[in-house]
Amino acid sequence: MLTEVKSEIQLLLLTVRYNIMREMTNKAAFTTNVLFMMLNNSTFIIQWAVLFHLKKEIGGYGMKEIILLWALAASSYGFAHIFFHKAFSLSDLITEGKLDAFLVQPKSVLLSVISSSTSPPAMGDLLYGFVLIFFTGITPLKFMLFTLFTITGGLLYSAFAVITGSISFWITRGDLIAMNLTNTMVNFSTYPDGIFKGLIKVLVYTLIPIGFYIYLPVSILLHLNLIYLGLVFLVTVIIINIAFAVFYKGLKRYSSGNLMSARV
Amino acid sequence: MRFDNCTERKKIVVKNPAKKYYYIFRVSFMENLQYPLNCILGFLSYFIMIFLFFQLWNYIYGDASKVIAGYTRTQMIWYVIFTEIMWFGTRNATLTGGMSRDIKSGTVAYAMNKPYRYPLYILSKYFGEIGFRFLLYFLMGSIMGVVMLGNIPAFRFTTVVWVLPVILSGLLVNSLIRICISLLAFWVEDSLPFQWIYDKLLIVIGIMFPVEVFPKILQPAIRLSPIYAVTYGPAKLLVDFSFEVYRQVLLVQLGYLFTFSVLLLLGYRKGVKKLNVNGG
Repeated sequence: MLTEVKSEIQLLLLTVRYNIMREMTNKAAFTTNVLFMMLNNSTFIIQWAVLFHLKKEIGGYGMKEIILLWALAASSYGFAHIFFHKAFSLSDLITEGKLDAFLVQPKSVLLSVISSSTSPPAMGDLLYGFVLIFFTGITPLKFMLFTLFTITGGLLYSAFAVITGSISFWITRGDLIAMNLTNTMVNFSTYPDGIFKGLIKVLVYTLIPIGFYIYLPVSILLHLNLIYLGLVFLVTVIIINIAFAVFYKGLKRYSSGNLMSARV
Repeated sequence: MRFDNCTERKKIVVKNPAKKYYYIFRVSFMENLQYPLNCILGFLSYFIMIFLFFQLWNYIYGDASKVIAGYTRTQMIWYVIFTEIMWFGTRNATLTGGMSRDIKSGTVAYAMNKPYRYPLYILSKYFGEIGFRFLLYFLMGSIMGVVMLGNIPAFRFTTVVWVLPVILSGLLVNSLIRICISLLAFWVEDSLPFQWIYDKLLIVIGIMFPVEVFPKILQPAIRLSPIYAVTYGPAKLLVDFSFEVYRQVLLVQLGYLFTFSVLLLLGYRKGVKKLNVNGG
């Protein structure tokens, strides 16, 4: 079991390495994408400077906490799109019958599919998160936790995208539902959870697990809490398992017609 | 032996050149009418975003009677409802990724020998694609606003008639800016990063807050920016109509329509000269 996991991880790392090398063949376009994405993300400072000018704290967050929130949201998003970019267009692959080429792979079909491409601007997101974290009073422990939450966040977000993307195995217009749900994760993750009340607060910790993706990790980075830390790990593992289960259940319903395609 | 048909050239006179662009618009509009479910499901993202802002502004205002930068809570959320309609209702890859890809791949060369001008073709196609969606978002967004907040204070239906040309000019200015940015692909290969920056400026300066919320020192610069013409103008007039602002917004819009039309024309003329197409 452990050997199998180890070999899957080795293959994943190798695939991502080659994906990045392929994207870097046009160095100018790659660098522009990365730098402009970092610049693009920086505009959030204007938004929050204006909001904090109107009210000193929003949802229990000040500027420092917001920077932390944005840093983690950007780095987790970047991690997910570097390693598992295709998880976010899984619906299209299912609907258009493009999974055929992956079904004959000797390793995990799901991992082969979702790691088959990398988004160059996501490098900008990841780097941006790690630059931003230095403006929040960094300590070695905090840096380690931040790196850890970047990985758990990226895994959780990608697993959620796989679950929502797999809806297309059952529903024809599943792509729009998947897009809306993954967008909700991104949109909510850049606002403090203190502004939400009642049912929404329940939703962000259950059906749409933004709480375990961003809010709890930010809370842990601010005040270390081992129970919360364990909870983040547990929920991430559970959601990854659900993603595998849903995808393989759906895969039994998959049929592709006679579409010819080549993987290059 | 004479081949009269070959030697005599028939001169085709197009009485109204605008008609062909109208047909392009109509075909694209009708095509999008075939998929209403796409628009309706896409509305979910808009609804979620408005819901987020509803929560945010409720938290910031705290007390419903509070006034911030001259806006009541209801006016502020209505402002965001309209600016978000202009954002979500007009989002489309035709002017951005599509055009950039056409230029990058050389596909634009096929469009150049057609009996239309490529930028105008793209513009007509784009308006056809977003037409139905924009109308739907405008209607559904307004209904959602009434349900969540009640009517806009002192709103009259005649306001919509007055503001309609401002909304259309705003959309046109936005489209011209996007085309001009996409034309950069003739020089820099990938123009998408420049679209992101414009997107973000539009969101932060033009969609999330009205100009009055920004520090006084920045307000004159924002009022002169194209973002004032694209989102602030139409939304402000719908929420709080006055003829003084109406005149100002129209003037800024006309200025930008002229400026970006000239830029587009010059940019396209210069850009196509740089086009290299390989056979195959």
